[in-house]
Amino acid sequence: MACAIVLIAVIAGAPFVLNEGFLRLATECLLLLTMAQMWNLLAGYAGLVSLGHQVFIAFGAYALFLTSGWLEVTPIWVLPVAPLVAGAVAAIIAFPLFRLRDAYFSIAMWVFAEIIGAFTMKSQEVGGTSGMPLATSKLIDFDWFEPTMFWLAGGLTLVTIAALYKMMTSSFGLGLMSVRDNDLAAMSVGVDVRHNRFIAFVLSAAGCGLAGALSFMGNLFIAPLAAFDVNWSVYMMFIVIIGGIGTLEGPILGVIIFFGLRELMTGPLGLSGGWYLVGLGIIAVVVMIVAPRGIWPALRDRLGVRLLDVHRAAPRPATEIILPDASERVTG
Amino acid sequence: MIWVETLINGALLGGLYALLGIGLALVFGVMRVVNIAHGEFMVLSAFCAVLLSNLFPQVSPLLMLIPVIALSFAVGWLYQAVIVNRVVTSPDPLSPLLLTFGVSVVLRNVMVEIFGADVRSLQVGELSRASLEIAGLNIGIMPLLTLVLAALLFMALQLVLRRTEFGRIVRATADRRDIVRLSGVKPDRVYNYVMGLSLALGAIGGVLLAVRSSFTPFSGAERLLIAFEVVVLGGLGSFWGALLGGIALGMAQLIGLKIDPNAGLLYAHLLFFIMLLIRPSGLVSSRV
Repeated sequence: MACAIVLIAVIAGAPFVLNEGFLRLATECLLLLTMAQMWNLLAGYAGLVSLGHQVFIAFGAYALFLTSGWLEVTPIWVLPVAPLVAGAVAAIIAFPLFRLRDAYFSIAMWVFAEIIGAFTMKSQEVGGTSGMPLATSKLIDFDWFEPTMFWLAGGLTLVTIAALYKMMTSSFGLGLMSVRDNDLAAMSVGVDVRHNRFIAFVLSAAGCGLAGALSFMGNLFIAPLAAFDVNWSVYMMFIVIIGGIGTLEGPILGVIIFFGLRELMTGPLGLSGGWYLVGLGIIAVVVMIVAPRGIWPALRDRLGVRLLDVHRAAPRPATEIILPDASERVTG
Repeated sequence: MIWVETLINGALLGGLYALLGIGLALVFGVMRVVNIAHGEFMVLSAFCAVLLSNLFPQVSPLLMLIPVIALSFAVGWLYQAVIVNRVVTSPDPLSPLLLTFGVSVVLRNVMVEIFGADVRSLQVGELSRASLEIAGLNIGIMPLLTLVLAALLFMALQLVLRRTEFGRIVRATADRRDIVRLSGVKPDRVYNYVMGLSLALGAIGGVLLAVRSSFTPFSGAERLLIAFEVVVLGGLGSFWGALLGGIALGMAQLIGLKIDPNAGLLYAHLLFFIMLLIRPSGLVSSRV
């Protein structure tokens, strides 16, 4: 609790201390962290790897740009539209996609993103290939724009992590993780596998939609090549698998490594963005081979630290209670 | 008449697409791994062919296929031995998927940095323009040769898997990885050969596709999606199904391009998605 208050205070105060460039970087970090947590909710807890999650980012962002333009209100007030639209799309496509498992689901998601991306580029109403600016950007108060973006991103991140923690310690989270670990066993004790996966999928899409909308709102411009870029999925995935899939702390560590490496390689080392992705990819591959659950779980087990752990102690095995009973009866 | 020609050309293109898919299907059939980097390896083989034909301009680019196939086989063998074998027995089915995806990102960006993001193509001179006229229909020789080659390769692969010692070992390993060890087979070593074979087949598809249309280091994703759609449409593990799936996708793409010249792969993707809704088990359902 004290920790949460400190974090809120830090986020509230940061814009008064940091310069504008740093603030923008911090906003980007927080938004990507939210997206990574959402991808992790699906991959790490529900066992569904999506390679087409950029489609939800794009749906959220386009929904915000279009609604704000139609209603002619400051984009911040129509932000709730973004998660609603992205979540609704996820709820609809879940029906065909949930027939597929493992890699089939992953690639079918990617194909879906490609199809929507191709249609977006063809629709002149949303600017076609050249994209469109935020029509209501003149309503934005630019003195407070960067701090507001940072506060929104920070608030979203904190709420996301708190909600995920709450969710994973609830019976829903337990059901979700049991589905990931062994869906047959989960079904046999009455967990509704499809229902659990469906909820995780829709929530994950909605979260990515909101974070995507915020991200493109910060740019004041959206173009299909940027919105439907498969690199969104690449980033989310690398952050999650490097940090630790299926943990809440993992993506936080992953984001630190992601941005630390980027600033190091493209800054002081003067390398291009391509080499940065090569470096990140090599780290991800090495982590997958050496510590398949990611860096955080390996560290946690070695150091014995518990931060946002959602593990539960297993109930005492029933045999311990029954056995003495049985032996008594035999002797008696 | 123009529509008949489009359908025939689509079918010929489909032969090429089936070639893209068959390597992916082989690896999946034997080790239950979807190699996400398959598309990037195909683009890499196309780059190798372009480099070789720049070095030896007097030799026909199609002859370059031979060293490129050999090289791809070696690369596939090493890729499996050094990287993929480490996760192939992982209890988590997501590990190989995430790992090969990581490899695909690394390969793509290495190619961007080394070869640049320019659009390339492989020139084969007269052959690419030559065509036959049958009953008033114009049919390109190159696409026709490609389809024939694809059909021959499929038959050869079928024969190897059905009739040879190597084929029996591969099928046995695919069925029971743990039991074949009792007969002295090392599953990891079988996997090395299978991945080599898969990338060699991918190289044929990759080079022939580079003759047909231009490519960039980013084309790998497109090629992977086509390969994957071929496999799923055809029904898992069915070689002739893959050929049918490829032909359906090729036709969908060319019909789409007739309606809307800048549609790209949109109509092929749409066909795949619709088929997924109607028939998730594929056009032909059978096993290897």
